[in-house]
Amino acid sequence: MINRRELIVLGGTAAVLASAGLGRAANWPTKSVTLISAYPPGGTSDIIARLVADLLTAKFGQQFVVENVAGAAGALAGGKLARSAPDGYTIMVSGSAPIAANKVVQKNLAYDPQVDFTPITVVAESCALLSASANAPAKTLQELIAYAKANPGKVNIGNPGAGTKGHICAAMIGMQAGVELNHIPYKGSPPLLADLLGGHIDFALDAPSNYLPHIKDGKIHGVAVTTAERVAQVPDVKTVAEQGLDGFNQALWFGAVGPKDLPAEITDSIHMAIKEWADTPAAKEKLASLGLAAVVNTPEEMKGSIQREIDGIKPLVDAGLVQPN
Amino acid sequence: MDIFNGLMLGLSTATTLPNFAYCFFGVLLGTAVGVLPGLGPIATISMLLPFTFGLPVDTALIMLAGIFYGSQYGGSTTAILMNLPGEASSVVTTLDGHEMAKQGKAGRALAAAAIGSFFAGTVGTMFIAVAAPLLAGLALTFGPAEYFSLIMLGLVTSMVLTSGSLLTAFGMALLGMLFGMVGTDINSGLARYTFGSPNLLDGLDFVVIATGVFGLGDVLANLQNEHARTTGIAPVSRLFPTREDWRRMAAPILRGTGVGVVLGILPGAGVLLASFSAYALEKKISRTPEAFGKGAIEGVAAPEAANNAAAQTCFIPMLTLGLPGTATMALMIGALVVQGVQPGPEMLTQQPALFWGLVVSMWIGNLLLLLLNLPLVGMWAKLISVPYRYLFPLICVFTAIGVYSINNNVFDVYLMALFGVLGFFFRKVGAEPAPLILALILGPMAEEYLRRTLLISHGDATVFFTSPVSLGILVATVLLLLSILSPNFRKVREEGLQEAD
Repeated sequence: MINRRELIVLGGTAAVLASAGLGRAANWPTKSVTLISAYPPGGTSDIIARLVADLLTAKFGQQFVVENVAGAAGALAGGKLARSAPDGYTIMVSGSAPIAANKVVQKNLAYDPQVDFTPITVVAESCALLSASANAPAKTLQELIAYAKANPGKVNIGNPGAGTKGHICAAMIGMQAGVELNHIPYKGSPPLLADLLGGHIDFALDAPSNYLPHIKDGKIHGVAVTTAERVAQVPDVKTVAEQGLDGFNQALWFGAVGPKDLPAEITDSIHMAIKEWADTPAAKEKLASLGLAAVVNTPEEMKGSIQREIDGIKPLVDAGLVQPN
Repeated sequence: MDIFNGLMLGLSTATTLPNFAYCFFGVLLGTAVGVLPGLGPIATISMLLPFTFGLPVDTALIMLAGIFYGSQYGGSTTAILMNLPGEASSVVTTLDGHEMAKQGKAGRALAAAAIGSFFAGTVGTMFIAVAAPLLAGLALTFGPAEYFSLIMLGLVTSMVLTSGSLLTAFGMALLGMLFGMVGTDINSGLARYTFGSPNLLDGLDFVVIATGVFGLGDVLANLQNEHARTTGIAPVSRLFPTREDWRRMAAPILRGTGVGVVLGILPGAGVLLASFSAYALEKKISRTPEAFGKGAIEGVAAPEAANNAAAQTCFIPMLTLGLPGTATMALMIGALVVQGVQPGPEMLTQQPALFWGLVVSMWIGNLLLLLLNLPLVGMWAKLISVPYRYLFPLICVFTAIGVYSINNNVFDVYLMALFGVLGFFFRKVGAEPAPLILALILGPMAEEYLRRTLLISHGDATVFFTSPVSLGILVATVLLLLSILSPNFRKVREEGLQEAD
C-alpha cells in the first residue's frame, strides 16, 4: 500500500521530473543531436536526411550529426530510434519503410512505428522509377511483362530493401499484370545502382535521384515511373498507367520522426524549421534536381500518411505477393 | 579527369592550411604511435575516429591516413634502436636493424629505413594515382559473385599469412565470422545471437572490438615485459648512409617497393606480409644470405620500403571497390560513411577532390615523415623511454572515451574491456587476432553477397565458376590454400613468421 506521505513524495518527484522535461524542451538543443539515416550514404533517403541535418544545424546552432544505420529495409534504424530516449537528441529521417511499411511487411519487427514513434512531418515526395540495365531483355513495361510471362520466375527486380517502396511497387506491378517477379533486396541504392550499371541485375525499382544522371548518359534505360504524372527530369519515360496498368499511382515519401513521447515543443520546433526551409526557392530547386518535390505536412497529418501507407500494402501481404519475413 | 588535372586538383585540396595542418598532425601522431610499442595505428585511429566527425571529410581522411602510414616510419625507429617492434609490421626490421645499431651503425640503419620508406611511399602514391581510376572503371564488372570470391580470397590470405598454426588462424577467422553474425539479419530483420539484449541488436561494432583487442590487449600484454623494455637504447651517430650503403640498398629498396605495391592491393594481406616477403626475397637472392640477421643493410631497406609501399596501395581496394582489405581500411570506410561518402567506384567521379586530395596529401605526408624521422630521431628515441606507468593509464582513458563517444553507450566500454581481456588471452596462447578482426568485418559482407548471388541466380551456385573473374579469384584462393600443404612453402612461411615473432 502506498501511504499518503509516499504519495506526496511521488507526486513531488513527478512534478520535478515534468518540470525538468519542460526545462529541457525549452532550452533544446544544448548539445549535438543524432539524426539517424536509415540507409547507407548516397541514396535518396540519405541525401534528404543530410539536407535536413544541415538545415536544422543552421537553424538551431547545434550540430545535427547524421548516423547511417543501414540494413533490413530501415528496421535496424527504426529499432534504434525506438530504443532511444525521447529527449530530442535522437531523431530519424528516412523513406516510408521503417516509418510505416515494415509494420506489415516484417514479421519480426522489434517496434511498432505507430506506437513507438512520434511523427514530425513528411519532408518530400517522389515517384519510384523502374529502370533497366543496358543489356536487359526489356526496355518498356509491356516488354517486361511479356518477357515475364514467357519466362516465369526468371525476371529479377532489385529493390533497396525488402518492404521499401521499390519492393512494394514491383509487387503491385506483378499483381496487376499477373506475372511472377523475383525481388532482390539490396542494402540501399548505391550497391543496387552499381549492379544495374554492371549488368549483374536486369531491373531496379527505386527512388529516382541516383538513376537520373545515368539515364541521361544512356548507360541504363528508364522503363516507367510509378506516379500518375510523368517526371520533369525524364519526360520520355512513360508512367506505369500509360503502359497498360490502369490507375497505377504510387508516390514514395520521406519523413522525419522521433521516439515515442517526444515533447510537443521539440516536435513543433523541428517541424517549423523544416517547413520554413522547404518554402525557400533554394530548397525547392535542390529537391527538384533530385527528382523530388517538397511536401511538408504536419505532425498530425503525417499520422494519416503512415496509416494510408500501411492500408495500401496490407492487401499485397494478404494476397501473399509480399511475404512478411 | 586525367591524371595531371587530378593531381592539380589534389594539390589545391591537400595544400589548404587545415588539410596541411591535419596531415602534419596525422603523420606526427602516426610516428609517435609507431615509435611506442603497445600502441598501434588501429587503436589510435579507432580512438580518434569519433573526433573526426566534426571535420570536413577530406581533412578527416587525410589525417587518419597520415596516422596509418606515419606509424610505418615510426615503427622502424624502435625496431632499430631497441630491438622491439614499435609496430607489428616492423618486426622484420629488428633482425638486421638492431644488429646494425649494436655495431654502432644505428644512424645508417635509420637512414636506410627512412629513405626506403620515402621512396616506396612516393612510388606507392603514384601507383594509386595511375591504377585506382583504371580499377574503378573495372569495378562495375564486379557483381555479387565476384565480390564474394574476392572476400574469400581476403579471408584465406589473412589466415595463411599470420603467424602460428594455420588451424588456429582458421579458428580465429571462424570466430570472427561468428561475432560478425551477432545482430539483426540484413535481409529478414531477424535477431541473431543477441540473447534478448537490445545492446546487441545493432551487432558488435568493430571499432569497439578492434580497440579492445589491439588497444587494451596490447597494454595488458606489454605490462608483462615492461621491466625488459628500457634495457637500452642504442646511441645514434652518423645519420647519412655511406656510398657503399647507397650501392647496397638501392636494388633492395626497388624490389621491396615492388613487393609492397603488389601485396598491398591484395585484400587480407596487409603491411606485415609485405615486409616479411620482401625480407625473405632479399635473403633468397642475396649472394651473401649468411650476412642477414647480422646487420645487413639490405635487410632493413627492403622490408621498410615494402611495408610503406603496401601502406599506400592498400587504400586501392577501399577507394575503388569499397572493400576493406584490412582492419585499418575498415576504419577509414567508417570515417567516410559517417560523413556521407560511400567508398566505391562512384567515389572517384563524385568526390574527385577527396580522392586526389588524399593521394597528394600522402606524398606530402611522406615528405614530412622523412624530415620528421631523420633529423628528429633523437626526440623520438626519448619518447620510447616515457615510462609506461604514465602511458598506459592514458591509453586506457583515451580508448574508453573514444569507444564511448561512438554511440554514447556505456555497454560498448564494457564490451571493449571484455575484448581487451580476450585480446590478451589470444596473445598468450599465440593466436594472432588479425584474421578474427578481418573476418568480423568481411564475414557479414560475404554473407550479404553470397545470399544476393544465389537470389539472382535462383539458387544456382555454379555462377561462382562461370564468371571468369570470380573463377580466377577462387582458383587463386585454392592455390593459396594448397600452397600451405607444399612442404617448401610451409618451411618458408614458418621461417618468415618465426622471424616475425
